[in-house]
Amino acid sequence: MTEKERLDILEEWLKLHKGLIFKVVRAYTVEDHDDLFQEIIIQVWHSIPAFRQEASVTTWLYRIALNTAIKWTKKEKKYAGAEILDNVQHLLQENRIQVDERLTWLYGEIYKLDEIDRSVTLLLLEGFSYKEMSAMLGISESNVGVKINRIKKQLIAKSKNYDNHGI
Amino acid sequence: MITMEFDEMKKIWDAQNNQPLYVIDEKALHNRVQSKMSTVLRLTNISEWSLIMTYLVAGGILIGLNPFKRGANIFLYLEAIWMFAVVVYFVVSHIRRIKASRQFDRSIHGDLNHTISLLSYQVRLSQIIRWNLLPMGAIMIFSGWEAGKLFRVSAVILVSYTLAFYVTSKGIRANKRRKRELQVLKEKLETGN
Repeated sequence: MTEKERLDILEEWLKLHKGLIFKVVRAYTVEDHDDLFQEIIIQVWHSIPAFRQEASVTTWLYRIALNTAIKWTKKEKKYAGAEILDNVQHLLQENRIQVDERLTWLYGEIYKLDEIDRSVTLLLLEGFSYKEMSAMLGISESNVGVKINRIKKQLIAKSKNYDNHGI
Repeated sequence: MITMEFDEMKKIWDAQNNQPLYVIDEKALHNRVQSKMSTVLRLTNISEWSLIMTYLVAGGILIGLNPFKRGANIFLYLEAIWMFAVVVYFVVSHIRRIKASRQFDRSIHGDLNHTISLLSYQVRLSQIIRWNLLPMGAIMIFSGWEAGKLFRVSAVILVSYTLAFYVTSKGIRANKRRKRELQVLKEKLETGN
């Protein structure tokens, strides 16, 4: 595969699926959006030659983005405090036009989960099957099921404390 | 107190698909690109001048000391001439690089393209250093053979080449990685993120 072909694929994937990456970024970090975004894009770039079209592009990108985000979160925890965040200019800014408080609340709750539960929740909200989640995250389908039941109960229970969701 | 069902959460989640979650802060991006560019520019200048000075001094020492040295031979002069030729090549490359840098404007794209071209230049420089060791090593082996020290000289050349190959490979890999990162960033900008 030539570099040009690789760039063409990346360009097309970004055009069609960048929203997916933004969702993962927002669920996995509060402050370092641009760093994680950049890291995911780089991993996606590296992964292009290995893409065999056995899975859909969305599944492939989710797998790459979630694995990168999990690894990145662990690394960030390890080096927490190494950089003074006030000095960092962030490339990505939240789009202020879009203000759905319920979505902000949902992201906040997802962020409070551990790395694997965060991935499960994102994939569940995106409508992936247990089988697909199991393959992407490397955990058994029954384990996925157990986690989903627990997460759903947890989120529903927490929504009781949230008065402004407008229902 | 009202609870939100999971289906409701899914609807809220799906609604975001129609709106971009983030926008790129162009100024911050430009600052970051400029900072990367100045680092790469500084490193390129240091590499160029270190190489020029190293080859110049080494060639000068060979020319200066050879007449007074026992076992001196024509190959040592050849080696020195080769080194001076390489210095000329590096100086010409440096001038051409400076001239080429004027074609880039000071926009994000201009700075990004300039940084990518600097990294390509650095990779080329490292590859030249690596391959240049072959003719230089060959001349030194002939010199060692002429002076009756073939085994010792060959051993030194082999060790030096291995070391240089290792060091330049690391540099080439690192620069190629940086270049890829910037190409990805450029692609991101061109796709309108």
